[in-house]
Amino acid sequence: MPQETGASVKLNLEGLLCPIPVVRVSQAMKDLPVNGVLEATATDPGVLTDIPAWVKSTGNELLSMEKKDKVITFTIRKAK
Amino acid sequence: MSVGVTSLSLTDMKEKLKALIDRKQLASLEACVRCGICTESCHYYRSEPRLEHTPFYRAEQLRRIYRRLLDPIAGRFQRRGDSGTASAELLRRLADIAFSTCTLCQRCTLDCPFSVDTADIMRAARSLATATGSAPQMLVELADAAIVKGENIESFKDFYLDQVKELEKQVQDRLGSSRARIPVEKEGARMLYVPLSGAHTIVPQAVLFNLAEESWTLSLFETSNYAYFLADTSRASRIAQRIIAEAERLKVEEVVITECGHGYPVMRWEVARWLGRRLPFRVRSVIEVLDEYLQKGVFRVSPKGNGTPVTYHDSCNLGRKGGLFEEPRRIIRAVAEDYREMNPNRIYSFCCGAGSGLVAIPEWTDIRLRAGKLKAEQIRRTGARIVVTSCDNCRHQIGELNEHYGLDIEVTSLSELTVKALV
Ligand code: SF4
Ligand code: SF4
Repeated sequence: MPQETGASVKLNLEGLLCPIPVVRVSQAMKDLPVNGVLEATATDPGVLTDIPAWVKSTGNELLSMEKKDKVITFTIRKAK
Repeated sequence: MSVGVTSLSLTDMKEKLKALIDRKQLASLEACVRCGICTESCHYYRSEPRLEHTPFYRAEQLRRIYRRLLDPIAGRFQRRGDSGTASAELLRRLADIAFSTCTLCQRCTLDCPFSVDTADIMRAARSLATATGSAPQMLVELADAAIVKGENIESFKDFYLDQVKELEKQVQDRLGSSRARIPVEKEGARMLYVPLSGAHTIVPQAVLFNLAEESWTLSLFETSNYAYFLADTSRASRIAQRIIAEAERLKVEEVVITECGHGYPVMRWEVARWLGRRLPFRVRSVIEVLDEYLQKGVFRVSPKGNGTPVTYHDSCNLGRKGGLFEEPRRIIRAVAEDYREMNPNRIYSFCCGAGSGLVAIPEWTDIRLRAGKLKAEQIRRTGARIVVTSCDNCRHQIGELNEHYGLDIEVTSLSELTVKALV
């Protein structure tokens, strides 16, 4: 379950394989207000390209994406 | 008059249906005599016997819309004022049935005395739903993201190449050789290998390709094509075109598709039909390549690497639709000690319950877990502790069936099973 922190939400997608991380992100974004921020961690390297592509195609904004050891952390702003 | 959820006039809907439905689908619609012989063929019905789970009930939903809008005889007897809202409701219902309660597995066609292709009828229903904006949003988003990736590959490439470098390190560690490579964009390679997103369809295969000293290059794209599940030929062609253009640019002899159910028939048969041209390369599944390696003794394996009982689930796309029945069985027998058939199998195999995009729709998790009861029972009867299947969709579903029905199994791919047997 996403953990809500004001106008932001945190998701733990570690261990999930694509496309499930994208599916969970899309679901969680629906509940966010415009300008709300989603922060997520994942381990499937597929998210390194799948998430930026999904963000671009849905018109949202990728604020950051970084990989440390095996964990990828990214933040997305809901633009509309 | 505008109609409810779709905001489409009846005339628009009629025109769309006319454009989308083909003669083969019409023939299937007309040929069904509602005899009910196919009832027990459907895994939904076998798992939960209800009228709505029979193949002919599903087809009837499109037939009613077709009769109402396009059948010249039945249309004459339509009641006045019986069209607008009623058709919108039928359309909404049709979309729900076509996407959530039919996995397009074609199991029912085998048992029908007239070979009625209910899956194809449901594909027409999915097309109509997609064209009228009633398709599941998640499938549309995944399809559009793949198109965006193809159109903007230069901006995603660095992320991808970094990822590949890390995976290459894993391959080198596994083989104990710093010479092992995962080549990308290698012009003139014999084979373009198309994975899915993520390491599990890159690392084991790269280990095997390196051992076989294969001339290969890894695709920048993934084989999954969510527009195929939407029955949206135009979008599906654009997604597949990314790989075709890459293969043509690199001048490869063949495109090899990873262990993915729908990715194989899309590239092997469908895309050439959609584009109306022959592809200038051969298309094979990686299963066929692995089978060939093992038959030729390209690397050494021992069945002792997999000592626990193994069973194989025939994915509908690779098996019934793709004809790959013996290749996976030869591979398993070469790399595992105790192979047990699931029954029924091969062409008569039942769907895992999550085909054709269901796995990507969280709202339908409960539906697909219930529909997977039959598969769970089949697996349990084998007594196997490892279930191998060559489709990511099936692997995901069987992994969840494992938890839901307490099967106590491990789910894996043929490539991973083979890597475990390397000596
Ligand atoms: S699809 Fe075939 S088997 Fe099923 S009810 Fe129709 S005619 Fe009978
Ligand atoms: S195609 Fe498969 S899921 Fe659809 S009605 Fe036939 S048996 Fe059932």
